[in-house]
Parts: sequence; C-alpha cells; structure tokens
Amino acid sequence: MKTLLADGPSNLYATEMEQFGRLTGHWATEITYYPTNGSPARRVSGEWEFSYALEGRAVLDVWQWPAREEILTADRAADQECGLCVRIWDPRLQLWRFTFHGTAHGDQVHMYARQIDDEIVMERAVGSDLIRWTFTDITTGTFHWRNERSTDGGHTWRLDQEVSARRLH
Amino acid sequence: MAAAVELIAAPWNIGLRPPWPGREPGTWRTPQALLSAGLEARLRPARVAQLDRPPYEFDAQPATRIRNGVTIREHALRLGEAVQSALAASRFALVLGGDCSILLGCLLGARRQGRCGLVHLDGHSDFRHPGNYDTASSLGSAAGMDLALATGRGELLLTHWPVVGRPLVADQDVIQIGDREEAEEEAPPVTRFTAQEIQRIGIADLGERVIRRLEQRELDRVWLHLDLDVLDERVLPAVDSPGRPGLDFPQLAELLSTLTGTGRVVGLDVAIYDPELDPDGAHAAPIVDCLASALTPLTTVGTHT
Repeated sequence: MKTLLADGPSNLYATEMEQFGRLTGHWATEITYYPTNGSPARRVSGEWEFSYALEGRAVLDVWQWPAREEILTADRAADQECGLCVRIWDPRLQLWRFTFHGTAHGDQVHMYARQIDDEIVMERAVGSDLIRWTFTDITTGTFHWRNERSTDGGHTWRLDQEVSARRLH
Repeated sequence: MAAAVELIAAPWNIGLRPPWPGREPGTWRTPQALLSAGLEARLRPARVAQLDRPPYEFDAQPATRIRNGVTIREHALRLGEAVQSALAASRFALVLGGDCSILLGCLLGARRQGRCGLVHLDGHSDFRHPGNYDTASSLGSAAGMDLALATGRGELLLTHWPVVGRPLVADQDVIQIGDREEAEEEAPPVTRFTAQEIQRIGIADLGERVIRRLEQRELDRVWLHLDLDVLDERVLPAVDSPGRPGLDFPQLAELLSTLTGTGRVVGLDVAIYDPELDPDGAHAAPIVDCLASALTPLTTVGTHT
C-alpha cells in the first residue's frame, strides 16, 4: 500500500489541504470525557497520527487510546480504540468530507468541516442533535480539540470530550 | 441607472418535501413554463443562463437532517456563481426557480460583491431551524428554512459559505413581507409586515415603509425573494402551501415595481409556482404579466443584444 500515504499536499487544493495538513505528524494526547450522568470526568492517554494521503488529496489520521507505551505488555483490548479518520477536500462543496471508522465498536461517523477563523469546525446532524468536533489553538507543537453537542439547534453546546495534544514528532 | 436583465433558470425542487411518497415536487418545471408563457419575449433579457436540474433524493444524505442538504449546497454554490457573474456584468439578475432554497445561492452571489439586504416576500416565515422544531421526527425541508439558513441559523452545511462566511444576511438587514401564519411558529427577529398588517395599511403605504427602512439601514443593495405563495390562494393555488389572506397580482406588481424603482434591488428570485399543480397552465400567464409589468422598465437601458 505504498500509494496510500503521500509526502505532501496536492497542488490542486494546496491552500485548503494545509488546513488539516499542518497537523501531519505524531501527537501525544490527553483525552478527557465528561459523562452526562454527572459522574466525575475520566481521563485517558492516547496518540494521534496525521498524514497526507491519496496523492496529497486527503489527510488521514489514526486515533488511538490508550497510548502505545501503556499497552507494551499486552495487545490493545477489544474495546480500546484504534480508528481511522479520512478527510477529503470536496471542491464542489467547498467543504471537507470526513469519515471516522472505529475498530473497537464499529463506529462509522460522517461529518462536514470548514475552517472558521482560527478553528477547524466539523459538524454532523444526528436525530435532534448537532455534534461538533473543533480543532482550536493550533500551534506547531500543540493543539486542542473538543467534542460538543447541542440539543437546541446550536444555541448552546455541552462539552462531552476534549483533547490536549502535544507533538511528539 | 437601469440595467439589462439576465434570466437565470434554476430548475430546482430539492428544497421541498415529496408531495406524496415517491413523487418529486414539480417546481423544477417552472423556468420552462414561464419562458414558454412569454417571459423571455416580454423582458428581452441580455442573456438566459440555464443551470442544471439537481438530482432529487428521497432518503437522508449523510450527516444532515435537511433533505437533499448536500445537493443544495453544491448547487447553491453554482447558482451563486451565476448570480455573481450577472451582477458583475451590471445586469439585474432574475432567477427563475425552483423552490425557496434557491435564495441561498442568490444571496451568496449578491454578497460576493458586498453588503446586500434582503426583502423576503413569502406567505410563510420560512424560519424553521433545529432550535424550533423536532429534527429527529422527519427530514427538514430547506424551502421552509431559507430565512433561518440565510441569517445563519442551522447546520454548518448550509450556513457557512466561502468568502462570505456566516450569515449571508444580518437579521437587521432583512425585511419580511406577507407571513400569514405569524402565531403558529417562532417569529424571526427581523423587520416584518404580516399579511394581516398589509391588509390594513395597503400596498402604497407598505412600499413607503419598506423604502424608509432600507434608507435607515443605508442598504444600497438589496436582494428580493419572491415566494409566489405570498399571493392569495384564490389567485394562485398552484403552490406547495397555498393560503389566505394574501396579495393579488396587481398588488404584487405594484410592490415589485415600487421596490425595483428605487434602484436598490440588484436581483429577484421567483419561487414555488408548481406547473404540475396547474395542468392547463392557466396561472403561468398572470405570473409573467406581473413580472413583466414590474420589471420591463429595467430593460429600457442596458446592454440588450
């Protein structure tokens, strides 16, 4: 599968590709979940690896928890996630099309994304909810990500999960 | 200075719900119906741009609770380019829909040349958004959401746009005219003249009030959205959601003429007439008469070829 990954962005949409392309590399993550039932927040470590792919027309990432160093003595448990995200710029829609394919629970998620000011906002509508995943505070060495849900059409948002990421290389 | 008219045919029905299971709405036939009824001959446009008919999908598209939401975005971007091109050529853009979701592409095209207000003529508020109805129970129809989406309420898919961002138009720059169901749904926070209020004040006074509001807001550029269900169902029943009270054709022509006569209106979209609900075509002619009487003055100067 040497054709899967790419060294850089396609010249076709170089400016748009850079929006997610600046995340290429390997990141250590601290993931915090905020249960809806009021129980205390739960934290786990993880890793997040991004790369250009498909002749530079896509950005892929692999989302994992726990971090590899925490599973040295055993295989990853069946319910511990190692999932694939595919992000493809769609010039007809002037949006990113996003899919997540989880291996732990069979999750499959579709979203649309755009850079809005300094953030990259991803969104999907499910049932009566809007769900947003937002990349924010992006620097060369760190970024922040949050997963929020709105049950009132985007008027208010509840933080379900957030990630602090630190670049490993 | 008056400008030549450019007709843009947008044969859409993707913003409407199926009239019954498995049946597509017929509004996509409208551009051809109005052209066949003489609109082109009456307005002598500088150009007629024909856009493709978008495919209609009955089932939900991924990650959106808006029927045909992905398709609407794609074709709104195309329509926006057509409108932008017409305005860049100093032409008055007359967009023949289609359903009310064409408003998004029209505003997108108009906004690319700067600030642009909206006069929204419609028998309904078209202000549905995920905060005021149950999106889980059924797919939403963009033709009932166009004002909410245009003012930035709803899914990212149809509220965040290239270059313009969000919203396409600010609440304060919108004037809505003709809503007859004000008590039934959340009222949009815009300047409003309901159908009942228009009955009280009359068309001449309405026109003066609208112009005064445009002057107050210093809106030199305005887009005019015309959902033909602003007409009373007794004069135009061939629409998706007919009702009363509403305008008659002479009142509508007078209002359109007054507004376009200000020189502030850069374009007009016409939506929701359904030729399939008008099998003998009886209603196409009065629609053409109304548009022609209001817009013909625009064709007297310009680059007509």
